[in-house]
Amino acid sequence: MSSTATVRILDWLVPLAFVACASWVIWNGPAYILAFGDVNDALALRHAPAGALDWVALAAMPTLAILGIFTVRTAPMEDDDIRGLDRLSLFLGRVTMLLIALLVSVMFYEVIVRYVFEKPTLWANELSLWIAGFIFLFSGLYAMQQRSHIRIFLLYDVLPRPLQKLCDIISTGLIVVFAAALYYGAYGEAAAKFLRWETFGTAFDPPIPATMKPLILVAISLVALQAVSNLIMDWNKAPEHHSPADEIDEQEIAAIKRTLGSDN
Amino acid sequence: MDIGTISLLLLVAMLVLLAIGMPLGFASAVLAVFVLVLKFGPDVLFRDFGSGPLNILSQRIYGLLTDYVLISIPLFIFMASLLERSGIAKDMYSSLNVWLNHTRGGIAIVTSLMAVVMAAMSGIIGGEVVLLGLIALPQMLRLGYNQDLAIGTICASGSLGTMIPPSIVLIIYGLITETSIKALFSAAFVPGFILAGCIILYIIVRTQMNPELAPLPEPQPGDPTPREKSLYFAGFLSVLLVGFAGALFLRTLFFTLTGQNAFVEGVDPITYGTADYLPWFGGAVLVGLALIFFAIGRERTRTGWDMGKGLVAPIVVIGVVLGSIYGGITGITEAAGMGVIAVFVISVLRGEASVELVWDSLLRTLKSTGTIIWVTIGATALAGAYTIAGGPTYVANLIIGADLPTLGILMVMMLIFLFMGAFMDWVGIVLLVMPVFLPIVLKLPVEEIGVFGPMVDATTFVPIWFGILFCVNMQVSFLSPPFGPAAFYLKSVAPPHITLPEIFRGFLPFICIQLFVLMLVLFFPEITMFFRT
Repeated sequence: MSSTATVRILDWLVPLAFVACASWVIWNGPAYILAFGDVNDALALRHAPAGALDWVALAAMPTLAILGIFTVRTAPMEDDDIRGLDRLSLFLGRVTMLLIALLVSVMFYEVIVRYVFEKPTLWANELSLWIAGFIFLFSGLYAMQQRSHIRIFLLYDVLPRPLQKLCDIISTGLIVVFAAALYYGAYGEAAAKFLRWETFGTAFDPPIPATMKPLILVAISLVALQAVSNLIMDWNKAPEHHSPADEIDEQEIAAIKRTLGSDN
Repeated sequence: MDIGTISLLLLVAMLVLLAIGMPLGFASAVLAVFVLVLKFGPDVLFRDFGSGPLNILSQRIYGLLTDYVLISIPLFIFMASLLERSGIAKDMYSSLNVWLNHTRGGIAIVTSLMAVVMAAMSGIIGGEVVLLGLIALPQMLRLGYNQDLAIGTICASGSLGTMIPPSIVLIIYGLITETSIKALFSAAFVPGFILAGCIILYIIVRTQMNPELAPLPEPQPGDPTPREKSLYFAGFLSVLLVGFAGALFLRTLFFTLTGQNAFVEGVDPITYGTADYLPWFGGAVLVGLALIFFAIGRERTRTGWDMGKGLVAPIVVIGVVLGSIYGGITGITEAAGMGVIAVFVISVLRGEASVELVWDSLLRTLKSTGTIIWVTIGATALAGAYTIAGGPTYVANLIIGADLPTLGILMVMMLIFLFMGAFMDWVGIVLLVMPVFLPIVLKLPVEEIGVFGPMVDATTFVPIWFGILFCVNMQVSFLSPPFGPAAFYLKSVAPPHITLPEIFRGFLPFICIQLFVLMLVLFFPEITMFFRT
């Protein structure tokens, strides 16, 4: 089997279209807040309510997400056994990957215009910061789906399977507890900043507080849900023995070997 | 509840949660909640939904997510994963090998040098050990090099990636302790090179004392003599000079012609871009051309260029990344972004780039980023909660109050790092232990740190020095049994007859070298302070 399967156009086009629609929707966020009838005078002074194009973008987002969820394929380095929530996590993972590429492009553009043409932009640094926030939060969801969060298996591995299951229940339960505690403490601030559409207070003035504060809560809920899903999915799996060798990706080594050629 | 009891409960709870295999980041995060419950009591904490002290957690996470330097982590990971899939490393190996193949122990030295160059390009280990294991190990074994020496050289040198800047270990350390990452990078240079130098010195001494460890290849007819080699090398350097100075000349010329570098009062002039640099750059180009055409000769230069051109790509990448950081041109994050672009452009020029390659690298980047960042998120929440509860101050006072000798405290810390490093990932150690250890170190009497007490007139340097000390500690942890990751990476690419115990046996002298450098940094903090400003 080839270790690098070909990437179909569909694999990146759907996430890319989703990124485009989501960017539109997020950038025009106040339009929807106003349209949904939240009486907010300060916001109404600065923004118009949502127009036709805004509604098209908003409607396209779930459509593309569903399309993406149904068409997402596992890469060779990922486990084939994906069900339910896994598909959403993988799709959001693909979206996040494109955001990394976008982040690099934004920084490249900035460096070129700043150091070659000596005409720096006002927006590139803050846009990078904003995009990176999305990347950091949703990379954790992907890592959770891939079960790649750092754990210590020293004791876990020697336990009999029923006890391992008990440990898994406890740790998953505690992840849910953390998510709940975060909601309990942060919901008020997140909702207020979102409805006020609080911005960064700079020249470009991106709505980083308005978007990132609620997004932390969204991301942690998805991660907690994924943890519960993992618990259910792995329930009947045979006990695994873990070693640092698990970290090594055979696919990757095969790919490196191919790059280096066969004479080694 | 008083902070002493909270600290004790926290320690026990952490050990229990880690033992049952809970992911480190989430264990820290839920313990942050636990600490807040113990500190404020459920009545205060859960009085109103949507606000209260629990909001600290979200605020800490938000603060971390909007830290500009953190962006460099996915970028450096992306760069490394593009790099390991390109043939840059192999060509560099061939080029270095041409210059050194008739030196005793040459391939081992080339391996170390190559590891240093790769370390200066990327900041993670793993890929580096795998690449060296695939490129250099077969060559060394074919020539009949001693297996222990070959293995140790590859893994010890391959681990330098996190020591020589740019280094992800130092970035995370800098973020969590709020230390200047640029200062950390500057401070890590000399100890990193001392470590690399010691490894190379060890190879030379061992192979000179016992030549059987590293047989020389059979001389081939037509091999260039050492004198010819140095002429070829001079030719290669001249080409580099012409290329580099030429590029700067054209850039400056562009600014001059478009009038962008005209002197404006109150505006900083363009770095190396004003008209008075033109004669210098132009002169350098002429000197290089004169050398090529009159002193060295075109034929020799061409041969030299063919022999050395594998070094060009690494030099460009290092120039882009470290050059822009140290040249004061950009920050670390932009430098990392430029590094990604540089590697990508090189692999396009080499005809290696494809949609699949980029897609695959992005997948790996995403996974590693999620793993590292979410441990950081959890640890940030815990550090925030524990600080509010007064934890770090309490622990620091406890240790200082015990009136232990300064050196004794530092030694115990080193032992704890080494012990934890044998079982745990570096990222967990820096995030969980540093918030407790660093306040202690900062409270130690500065005049007792180091043999000559160099910190007395540079107290702000203590956190930087301690970061480097930690970094050397983590060098040991990559090699130390039973879980030293370098061993497992090498095992995955080594011939099947080489077993894990054999690999760890090969590490022993190199672990001693690392411990020696650790002691050097511990007793002579001066070696981290060369770049002090």
